[in-house]
Amino acid sequence: MSTYNIDEVLPEGTITELPAGTNVLITGPPMVGKRELAFQLLAVGHQEGEGVLCVTTSASASSMLDEFERQVPTLDRDRVAIVDCSGGDSQQTIREIATERVSSPGDLTGISIGTAKLLQQFSKQNVSDVRHGLVSISTLIQYLDLQTVFKFLHIYTSRIEDTGGLGVFTMDSDSHGAKTTNTVTSEFDCVIELRETEDGREVRVKGLPGASRSWHAFD
Amino acid sequence: MRDTGPPVVLVVEDEPDVAETYRRWLQSTYDVRVAADGAAAMAEIDESVDVVLLDRMMPEMSGEAVLREIRDRGMDCRVAMVTAVDPDFDIVEMGFDAYLTKPPEREELFETIERLLDRAELDGDLQEYYSLVARQSALQTEKSETELADSEEYAALTDRIDAAREAVDEELGDMASDTAFVGAVREIMDDEGEAE
Repeated sequence: MSTYNIDEVLPEGTITELPAGTNVLITGPPMVGKRELAFQLLAVGHQEGEGVLCVTTSASASSMLDEFERQVPTLDRDRVAIVDCSGGDSQQTIREIATERVSSPGDLTGISIGTAKLLQQFSKQNVSDVRHGLVSISTLIQYLDLQTVFKFLHIYTSRIEDTGGLGVFTMDSDSHGAKTTNTVTSEFDCVIELRETEDGREVRVKGLPGASRSWHAFD
Repeated sequence: MRDTGPPVVLVVEDEPDVAETYRRWLQSTYDVRVAADGAAAMAEIDESVDVVLLDRMMPEMSGEAVLREIRDRGMDCRVAMVTAVDPDFDIVEMGFDAYLTKPPEREELFETIERLLDRAELDGDLQEYYSLVARQSALQTEKSETELADSEEYAALTDRIDAAREAVDEELGDMASDTAFVGAVREIMDDEGEAE
């Protein structure tokens, strides 16, 4: 496939699809709905036979599965795979969907092995279009130097690009200074910013040619 | 490590004919050493070795055991497994940096060695790339968009970032490969370990 459909996720006048190999970063203050938007972007192609491979750094695999089922009530559990480094109790989930556990968000080698294993399983099932999530970069920055996280993001986004996937990452913009946010942002093709105003929530999309860079109401 | 002379390649292979073939192919380009079994390999290996070509199936000490020993000793070298059977996912987990199916073609052998020599540069070049991007980010927070557009320093920095990224991506190679991808992440994490 050459594009991933994201129709009706974002307001009219922004974007409705993303080219294969694109890496998207969702930023914004806490509680503005970054996770929810990430799950929507990951889940919207599920009905068309795509796979979802998500790395969770703080929520357990089972709570992540719940969030996906909220987006897609008829979730095909064979096409959802999770790398869980939250240390949460997810024995139950492990029986239900493909899960790789990693002892800590700081174990990037473990995360990469886990995602590679799960991607290989998708390929055995002939699921070639995969949306990759990583929620969230902020947790990685708590565990590791910014430079290590930056290097990892460069490698991981290259991986998603070279396998023709779609990458969706989240980062809390308030937890880190502007300089850190700029540094991380530079690794992404597209940045979706969320903010809360007196008139309600707003979104803007930056980085893609043709996308309007202005704020749009987003309820 | 590669300051003096050609890169050092250690061939660990119990079949003398096969080892000799590799040596003949490689000796005009690299400093080739040969070990006939795992124990000999462990005696031969030191900080000067850049790449190890490791036969998976050897009597007594297997390729996996040799690899474990190399990693345990904290040797900074890249290891390619040479295997007669198509490898499973387990080679990625074991920590091999690449694999070759036996018998490898001459070209293939060279390509793999060159790729692994490139990968030795990856962490340092990623570090350089990161430093440049961090400086750019600092300028972006200090100056307005108009000031940046007029700044020669900023334009020069942007050019350097593009060149640095290109160098990194060349060393990364095809990230669709599982061994290359996990190997690349392992490179940056080894560094993290040393920093602590």
